[in-house]
Amino acid sequence: MNVDKVVEEVKARLADVLLEAKVERKNYAHIKVKPEGLVRAAQLLKECGYSHPASVTGVDYPDRGEIEVIYHVESIEDKAIVALRTAVSRDNPSLPTLRDVWMGVHYHERETWEMLGVKFEGHPELKRFLLQEDWEEGVYPLRKEFKLKPES
Amino acid sequence: MALKPLERIRAKISNWKPIKDMLRWGRAWSLWWVHYETGCCCPEIMSLVASRFDHERFGAIPFPTLRECDVIIIEGVVTKKMAKRLKMIYDQMPDPKYVIALGDCAITGGFWWDSYSVVQGVDKVVPVDVYIPGCPPRPEQILHGLRLLQKKIMEEG
Amino acid sequence: MPVRVAWGIQHPMSGHLTLYLDVDGDVVLNTEPDVGYTHRGLEKIAEYRTYLQYVPIIERACDFDSSNFALGYVRAVEALMGVEAPERAKYLRVIAAELSRIMSHLYAQALLSMTGGFETMTVWSANDRELILDLLEMLTGARVTHTYIVPGGVRWDLPKGFKERAFEVLNYLERRIWDYYKMLFQNRTFQDRTMGVGVLSKKEAVELGVTGPSLRASGVDFDVRRDDPYEAYDKLDFDVIVEKDGDSYTRALVRFYEIAQSIRIIKQALKDIPEGPIRVKVPPTLPKGEVYTRVETGRGELGIYLVGAGTNKPYRLKISAPSFRNLAGLVYLCRDVPMGDIPVIYYSFDILLLDVDR
Repeated sequence: MNVDKVVEEVKARLADVLLEAKVERKNYAHIKVKPEGLVRAAQLLKECGYSHPASVTGVDYPDRGEIEVIYHVESIEDKAIVALRTAVSRDNPSLPTLRDVWMGVHYHERETWEMLGVKFEGHPELKRFLLQEDWEEGVYPLRKEFKLKPES
Repeated sequence: MALKPLERIRAKISNWKPIKDMLRWGRAWSLWWVHYETGCCCPEIMSLVASRFDHERFGAIPFPTLRECDVIIIEGVVTKKMAKRLKMIYDQMPDPKYVIALGDCAITGGFWWDSYSVVQGVDKVVPVDVYIPGCPPRPEQILHGLRLLQKKIMEEG
Repeated sequence: MPVRVAWGIQHPMSGHLTLYLDVDGDVVLNTEPDVGYTHRGLEKIAEYRTYLQYVPIIERACDFDSSNFALGYVRAVEALMGVEAPERAKYLRVIAAELSRIMSHLYAQALLSMTGGFETMTVWSANDRELILDLLEMLTGARVTHTYIVPGGVRWDLPKGFKERAFEVLNYLERRIWDYYKMLFQNRTFQDRTMGVGVLSKKEAVELGVTGPSLRASGVDFDVRRDDPYEAYDKLDFDVIVEKDGDSYTRALVRFYEIAQSIRIIKQALKDIPEGPIRVKVPPTLPKGEVYTRVETGRGELGIYLVGAGTNKPYRLKISAPSFRNLAGLVYLCRDVPMGDIPVIYYSFDILLLDVDR
């Protein structure tokens, strides 16, 4: 299903949790939903043929007090990308996992937890991945308050 | 019982200069190294192994078993997660052993001077014998570094 | 009783990862990867460097294919700024990117044949790779990390004598790769070692997020160069290689055929390249906004997500590396296989740990 039709479907079926949906440019759309509607939006996108997960990104916005999580998914037939986004508060960020919808987001979600602290409920393996084993608990490198310091 | 006089003879012979020189020559011209590629310097090592910049004519080959190697060539960046394992690998090599630090990242941290997970210089973890700078160094530079190590071994006391 | 074996940190395969294998006799029941040994924090460092200073850094995210990675990042910066490179620069970028892709595929073939015990192929591939490295040195000045593609265009024009030398090398390579085909792919031992090993079906490949030659070997017809064209690829004529079997042999075969297609692309680009400038001016700061771009590197699709905040440093840069996505495919396949198949599956995916850890 191409991106224009996807945006129409989403506006029709997810009206209660939808915050924004538009086509940014050729073959690229972005959809913003509330955290409660994330799983329903993901299942709808998978029905529309978007079943190839590309990446999961977390961006820290301390001035707005939130962390935005963006799932980029691709459709092989339509050669298009949809960015599914939602925002959670910085103090207790928690989202349902989308592993059951797209198998490929397993390691992406694990890395987002490790770098930003977003907890994915239902993910079976949220533990140390890329950082060293004795890294301090509760310190997330990609958050803006973590500053890089040269060591010598 | 007959061992003690044999031991004394062995100690006398191995301290004799021509024998010592022969042992050092043998060590310098058959350096078996551990292939420890952590970073971007590994393509140049691949070029070194192939026949254009052949390093096997100097007697060096990469060898997978740690217990039979003399040299460890640390190519590239060493992270804090890796540093503990590097020490374990270094300890497993038998004496006499040598270390070559290849590339800017192994010498001082290179591009990653302010990273939260990089050890700034591998000589904080293991003692280094030869430093080969470059990002990445050309295979000719690595061969020059090997020759410097050979000279160092030949001149050891 | 399953026993946990650490396929240790230092092993004859390339790259630093530990695979914890649950083994019963000689059969691996399942695998748990332990990565992060080369994690340098590239995404955090991006917030502390100007966008131009980051170009050499992104090349070191994967140094076997450095021009393709630089191209992905530079395209994101240009898309954010609304700048387009001149025509001649687009063709030069395609030449550098395809030479980089041949370099990457030859290296992957060298490593795969080393696993199968064919050291002759390793040395042949490494030697032919030297010819490509010499061409790249003539064009960009460096063998491995080029720093040739920058926001606004490319840094230098074609040097004198490059076209003739490039045609000599490419004509030789076109004949030479069929020697590889006879030596490696028609060899009965190699076929027994890799055919039927690690079969990934079409549906699994798509859902796991696998990309690149590994995806096309499972029957999925998708290549970013044709389906979302960038630079001069829409004006050049090439085939996308798709095979159906999805095993390790097919993945290696797809990479092999792609070398031939890359040679075809470079020859066309050298013939059709227009005259003109090679670089335009770009503004000193990144405007506010965000962009997601993708390119096809030798290992698969690279996605770059860039957020600008009005300064000359990115606010957030996310690198969705191809090897990170293929890692899910590797772990999925290393279940209920004999232990001797693990290196073959690992090398057929062409996973580079520098990509995975960034």
